[in-house]
Amino acid sequence: MLQRFLDPATLNSIAGLDLIAKTVVDGFVAGLHRSPDFGFSQEFAEYRAYTQGDDLRHVDWNVFARTDRCYLKRYRGETNTQLLVLLDTSASMGYGSHTVNKLDYARFLAASLCYLANVQRDAAGLIVFDEDVTNYVAPSTRQGQLFRLLHAIEQAQTGTRTDFTKPFVHFQNFLRRRGIVVVVSDFYEDPALIVKTVEPLRFRGNEVILFHLLDPQEIAPGFREPVLLVDMENSGAAMEVSPEYARHEYRTKIDAHIEALRSQARGAGMDYFLVDTSRPLDEGLREYLSVRRGML
Amino acid sequence: MGFVAPWFLAGLAAVGLPVWLHLLRKHKATPVPFSSLMFFERRTQSSIKHRRLRYLILFALRSLLFVLLALAFAHPYLQRRLLPVSRSGEVTVFAIDNSLSMRAAGLLDRARQMAKAEVSGLHPGQRAQVIEFASRIEVLSEVTDDRAALNAALDAVAASDGRTSFAELSRSLRSIAQSLHLPLRVLLYSDMQQSGMPANFSDLRLNADIRLEPHPLVSKQTPNFTVENVVAPRRVYSGAKTRVLATIAGFGTAKTVRNATLALNGRVIESKAVEVPESGRAAVEFNSLEVPYGRNQGAVKIDSADALAADDTFYFSVERADPRHALFVHDAANARDLLYFKAALEASGQSAFAIDPASADQTANVALSQYAFVVISDVGSLPESFEKNLRAYVRDGGAVLLALGRSSMGRAKVPVADLAIRGTRYAGREGDLFQSAAALDPSHPSIQQNNRWDDVKFYQAIRVDPGSARTVARLTDETPLLVDEQLGAGHILIFASTFDNVANDFPVHASFVPFIGQTANYLGRLDAGPPAVTVGSFEELRDAREKGTAIDVLDPRGERVFSLAEAATAQNIQFTMDGFYDIRRPNGRNELVAVNADRRESDLSPAAPETLRLWQNTASGVAAGGQAAGEQKPQSLWWYVMLAVLACAIAESLLGNRHLSVDKEAP
Repeated sequence: MLQRFLDPATLNSIAGLDLIAKTVVDGFVAGLHRSPDFGFSQEFAEYRAYTQGDDLRHVDWNVFARTDRCYLKRYRGETNTQLLVLLDTSASMGYGSHTVNKLDYARFLAASLCYLANVQRDAAGLIVFDEDVTNYVAPSTRQGQLFRLLHAIEQAQTGTRTDFTKPFVHFQNFLRRRGIVVVVSDFYEDPALIVKTVEPLRFRGNEVILFHLLDPQEIAPGFREPVLLVDMENSGAAMEVSPEYARHEYRTKIDAHIEALRSQARGAGMDYFLVDTSRPLDEGLREYLSVRRGML
Repeated sequence: MGFVAPWFLAGLAAVGLPVWLHLLRKHKATPVPFSSLMFFERRTQSSIKHRRLRYLILFALRSLLFVLLALAFAHPYLQRRLLPVSRSGEVTVFAIDNSLSMRAAGLLDRARQMAKAEVSGLHPGQRAQVIEFASRIEVLSEVTDDRAALNAALDAVAASDGRTSFAELSRSLRSIAQSLHLPLRVLLYSDMQQSGMPANFSDLRLNADIRLEPHPLVSKQTPNFTVENVVAPRRVYSGAKTRVLATIAGFGTAKTVRNATLALNGRVIESKAVEVPESGRAAVEFNSLEVPYGRNQGAVKIDSADALAADDTFYFSVERADPRHALFVHDAANARDLLYFKAALEASGQSAFAIDPASADQTANVALSQYAFVVISDVGSLPESFEKNLRAYVRDGGAVLLALGRSSMGRAKVPVADLAIRGTRYAGREGDLFQSAAALDPSHPSIQQNNRWDDVKFYQAIRVDPGSARTVARLTDETPLLVDEQLGAGHILIFASTFDNVANDFPVHASFVPFIGQTANYLGRLDAGPPAVTVGSFEELRDAREKGTAIDVLDPRGERVFSLAEAATAQNIQFTMDGFYDIRRPNGRNELVAVNADRRESDLSPAAPETLRLWQNTASGVAAGGQAAGEQKPQSLWWYVMLAVLACAIAESLLGNRHLSVDKEAP
């Protein structure tokens, strides 16, 4: 029932990002409890025979006392991880064919992820970038971190063009600890270049999730008549496009682009998720949690 | 190419609509911000151009649709030239003029030979028909390709005494073409008399599928003399010599002297030389005609020595009979009315009636059937038997003239007629001194010729209730003055005053004489027709009472005109040849009718060639004087244009739908 609150249009009518994030995550988590496949807790994992070199701190001395044998007690570790959200605010993210544009959706998604991380006591951070890094909130679990994040997300405005190379090189310097890196962008760039740029994060042991945000009009444009398309990242560039072209050739090209990005990202060990901005947010969260689960 | 309604071409302005939509209204692509153009290519322009080209085809279709619609409303047509090959199934009609003028100089034989030459030139299977015409058309053969039948029909063409009527020929040709539904080629053999042309040229109009080829047999006017008219009495009632006046006319003739002869029953009575001026007329008077009793055949002849001898004799009939008796019943003490009536009857030049006066008491045993009519002039009372006989006499067709005066004042009813007498109208010292005739019915035979009684003063009149009888004249105070009542087969004419110059001064007025004369003719049923009629005129043979009785008519050749069945039923007869027709009726009213050919036939001047060309062109519409190279017929293009409109509309819909299909797929 709460699922309907995850609808982007509904969320758009909510004023504060904190409330949006709370609504999304609470609703989402409430939905999760109905599912037996998901959920995580700190519990006993296994016993293992002690071998030379093992840390003696993990030996279960109660078992040793009873059996006179050394066994190591292993738990499914309740380790805190770090979430870093890379939010693309290039001009193209301002596009939206309905009430919620891509940047709004990205904000909702980023806010929801940060909130979720905060609930899980994970350190959450944020990097806002377009062709350069425009804002940075370092990952932390300190009191008030969530509000700093949400404020930063709130302040994010569409900038200029996308350039992955420069900001990625730049914020690789901020990442000192392994964690989950979530890149939220429309990825209007060559897939090979994107993967090449983002790949170093993966090499550092990070789990990288690419949230590819696209408006439904970008996936399947439906123009009734020839339109003069003006590039949002380059206002000087305009092109007259016929509906037939948008219906056939463009779709082929964008599908090829999506497929290339997906395959190359997965080839590089990254998770790729295509997000339709007309779809509810829970799909994005679910993707995050599946990765988060692997990090436990 | 022409248009029936060219003003609809103004609708071509509607082409401006697609022009504006497609050409003038600049195609504006809506600028739409889009996230990235990295997946769009320049070559999409070609797609748009291709699309625009398709729009141009749509534009052309829409423009064409408007043009075709405007054309359809303007109703275009083509003047299609009818080539000989297009006149398939053409029927050749040989029209031979057999009017009186064709008797001149063997014209009819020449016409026959020329027609036969054409018959021999007909293609095998080519169908033809032979007709002869004068004032009416006679079809002599069926439409056939049998040359023998056509030649036989041509041999059967006989000269008539009728008058040429090209209008009648045109009318018949139109009806033949309509009934056959085939094009006609009309070969006209005639002397092309100008006098045969109708007064209204449109009567000569021919249908488009009639091709007229006139073959004039005469190229210039032939001089011809004729006896144009004869003035003679139809009936005479005494043995006195009668005057006959004849008019001799010359058409295209030089000034010359001709000898005119008056003959009666084949016996020459008198001959006179008459000088006829150049192309003019001269009158000749014969004063020595003594008419014997009975019906006599009169004729005036001239020695014309011209080509047309058939018009040199003018027939007239004259009948000698005893005067018929009329009974005048009057008051024995008053003979003034008899005096005035008799004097007026004689003064009218009418010697057909002899007045037999009688007083009322002398009428008891009178046999009324011997009288043409009876006049009862202001008689107080009539013997009962006489009144009864009189009523029977009127019922059998007799006629009575009643004059009402002082003696009728005491009566409640008019004698014989039984109309009520309402009183007497006196003119006195108070009021009007006299009455005059206010309303006269000029259609009544008694006052047909003279209907002005304005100055006649009526001092006394008997007011009669006319009932259903016809009131012919009224006084100024609406008192009926002359009432005509039908009783059985006869008439009773009631004059509400007297003839004695006491109750009125009518007898001393000039209008009294024609009144009495016409009334006597009307009551006595005296037929004063002309002494001769023209060929083609009709004669009534019987009235309602003579239904079923046989009437014999002998034509100038002495042959019976009617079969036995026709003799009992024929209502009238048309005279077709000149000479004397003997009409024998069962009631003894036999008649000899002199019939003469129409003298317009005597003018042998041919019609101008321009007139004939105009006649030919009434079918094709070629300008006067121009040679008709071929017949033209307007062919409507409306259906073709409408089919093109339909095709264009379908193509436009299909093409437009294809363009719109993109829109349908768009969300």
